[in-house]
Amino acid sequence: MNLFVCIDDTDNFDSIGTGELLENMMGEAAVRGLAKAGFTVRYQLFIHEDIPYTSHNSSMCCTAETEDLSAFTVFCEKYLEENSADGSDPGLCILTDSPSLDYSALISFGKRAQNEVLTKDDAYKTAAEFGSGLHLSEHGGTGGGIIGALAGAALRAGREEGRIKGKLQPLPNKTDWTLSSFAAVYGVERFTDENGSEITDDLPLKFVHPTKLLYSCGRITSVIIKENGTYMPKPKIKKNKEKNQ
Amino acid sequence: MKYLTQSNGKTVFTGGKSSFAEAAYTAENCPSFSEDCEDELFCDDAVSCYNCRYRRWNAVGFECVKRCLNE
Repeated sequence: MNLFVCIDDTDNFDSIGTGELLENMMGEAAVRGLAKAGFTVRYQLFIHEDIPYTSHNSSMCCTAETEDLSAFTVFCEKYLEENSADGSDPGLCILTDSPSLDYSALISFGKRAQNEVLTKDDAYKTAAEFGSGLHLSEHGGTGGGIIGALAGAALRAGREEGRIKGKLQPLPNKTDWTLSSFAAVYGVERFTDENGSEITDDLPLKFVHPTKLLYSCGRITSVIIKENGTYMPKPKIKKNKEKNQ
Repeated sequence: MKYLTQSNGKTVFTGGKSSFAEAAYTAENCPSFSEDCEDELFCDDAVSCYNCRYRRWNAVGFECVKRCLNE
């Protein structure tokens, strides 16, 4: 069985982040033979003073495969209760990934969570209307993390765009990159320019700065920029400053 | 901490989200700076309030939850 697994509001300012906790949880599940995880996507949710996020209100969702949904769910619940940070409000969403399911109402909820303040009641109502194939649970504090957890799983199910957790580091001894060799080494499925237009030519590539991948149009995507006539994966950090002091 | 000020009981950065030099200067002079996890880094300065785990983003910038102004 294929799943989307999303947790939210598990951290505080001094703890590990929710993305790291998700990866730790899925690593432990793999060790126990309960599930195998795919990559994690970060979704930015709405920033608003009425939302009790820790620092950036993002939600982390990974895919997973399991043969024992019940045991995996129990494991995740227990893991969150034992490992979430003090003062956090953890929520867990486990959503079945199946082409026979209609995610449209969930996706609508996820998009709303990126643009407006939602409540736990909104989340429970949306989950109830979706019916079976969705687990949503609170694991401490106010349990408000169910809002972001449901939103993250919904956005992932809808193949909505988000940043893939982690970064790619250049290989020090390899310089003769092309888009196809880069794709083969890093599992990239799609290249675009900064405007989102797909690049299909097998361009020569200079890979010297760490870069992050996107999950876009349902595929692992690398954004390619052209600098001084040279194509390169867009450097990880998007903001540069000019020193004026 | 000349780029931090008090507003409605919170310590907020006065430079919004694009005052990179000011955010770096403030962090370089802050005993509480601690780098956030890699996925939440915002700019290319190793030390910057924009990359600090104690900054809490809001609609226009961020607040410093360590309240550096009073330290």
